[in-house]
Amino acid sequence: MAFEHRDEGHFTVVQIEETRLDASIAEAFKTYVFDLIDNGKTAIVIDLAEVRFMDSSGLGALVAGLKKLSGNGTFSLASAQPAVKDLFDLTSMDKLFKLHSSVDEAVKGG
Amino acid sequence: MNILIVEDARDQRLMLSVVLKKQGHTVLEAEHGKQALEILKEHQEVRIIISDWVMPEMDGLELLKQVRKTDLGRYLYFILLTGNTDHEAVVEGMNHGADDFLAKPVNFDELSARLKAGIRIIELEKQLEQQKQQLVQAIETVEKDLESAARAQEVLLAQPATIQHVSFDWFFKPSKILGGDMFGYQAIDGETLGFYQLDVAGHGIPSALFSFTLNNILSETSGRGSIVKETFDQAPYYSVRTPEKVLASLNNRFQVTPESMLYFTIAYGLINSRTGEVTLSQAGHPPPLWIRREKSVVEPVKGGGVPIGMMPNMEYTSCTLQFQPGDRLFLYSDGVTECENAEGEQFGESRLLECLKDSLDEDLKSVIDRVEKNVRDWSELDRFDDDVTYLLLEWKP
Repeated sequence: MAFEHRDEGHFTVVQIEETRLDASIAEAFKTYVFDLIDNGKTAIVIDLAEVRFMDSSGLGALVAGLKKLSGNGTFSLASAQPAVKDLFDLTSMDKLFKLHSSVDEAVKGG
Repeated sequence: MNILIVEDARDQRLMLSVVLKKQGHTVLEAEHGKQALEILKEHQEVRIIISDWVMPEMDGLELLKQVRKTDLGRYLYFILLTGNTDHEAVVEGMNHGADDFLAKPVNFDELSARLKAGIRIIELEKQLEQQKQQLVQAIETVEKDLESAARAQEVLLAQPATIQHVSFDWFFKPSKILGGDMFGYQAIDGETLGFYQLDVAGHGIPSALFSFTLNNILSETSGRGSIVKETFDQAPYYSVRTPEKVLASLNNRFQVTPESMLYFTIAYGLINSRTGEVTLSQAGHPPPLWIRREKSVVEPVKGGGVPIGMMPNMEYTSCTLQFQPGDRLFLYSDGVTECENAEGEQFGESRLLECLKDSLDEDLKSVIDRVEKNVRDWSELDRFDDDVTYLLLEWKP
């Protein structure tokens, strides 16, 4: 499995066990997150610690999750690595997502 | 059905042949495996083989092996004749791909029943072949359509040109037949030129169609529908929209649904061809590079901005650059810098900056070619994994 999730308090932490979040797995990732949301999960934290590269499709999948929640919950990102951080800077993702340096910080935040 | 009988004993062969012909089959005969192979190559209509086991030259088992490992252009149903109690032979025959067995001496009722089973398989096989042919044809049609769409895409691209003292040249290479990158430039009024380079997320048909649409919208400079220019009923009758406003209105017009994430990144700018003032606005696009030739430096123009379509009501900013005569601007898609070498290392912005610094004294075309050569040498592949596009402009009043 490329993705796994666990509950931490009322948060659902989704771990991406892949080094690339790109066109080849973006669709599968989107489906995975949509399923969680359809099953009533509303506080989602994506753990990006393993991801070394993300392309436009990967970024699109993250935003799709955010849009799917459509304001009825929280969708945050944690542990972005340098290349992914650069992409987030370039695309001003801090305007859309809460970006946390770690999962611990994300689940503490409320 | 066309049946080949392989049998060295003449009387046996004739008898089988007569019986099968009476049942309405077309029959060919061979005396041994070698002759059978020749006939199979020549007579493509043969679909069923009934072969004896022990024969001179090439026996039935060897014939079976040859038939299974040679590409004869169709599936052949293979019935082996065996001695009545020869179980080991049956196992060996099956292991080598025999479809059925018939004990000698041949019982003709059994023969006709076993043939019926064979014919059913061959008919199914024929249907499959037909469907496969249809699929191959369908794919060919799609590919032809794609190629003509790719030609249409090429026609949309602006030609290298000099407009009001501003010269433009570019490189455009989709990763597949069609790409999601696009660029354009044009005069908006007597002293203002607009230019852009954009990259729709993903590749292939949906991205390409979307990029066609965007090209249309951005090249519309007159009428109420124009996104780059506003018109009024009274003097001055129009105003050129600022880049940040153009991006904001594109963003409000093209919001994606969670299901289709067709968003895009873009750098859009205006240049005043009289004064050399450049205004530039970006939405998640790689920073355009300002090539300041007098100072011999190349500077990324940082901008940021959320890609277009991700969230409604985003605000965009623009920055202003004062060009000196001869200054250039290099706009590019991330396919340039994210191009990977064999070790998975990206070409990166710093190599691109070096490459542009090395080409300060070259003409536009040579710069375009130099960047292409550098990126190609880096990737060492004939094709690119992502669309690779860049646009270079120069102000020379």
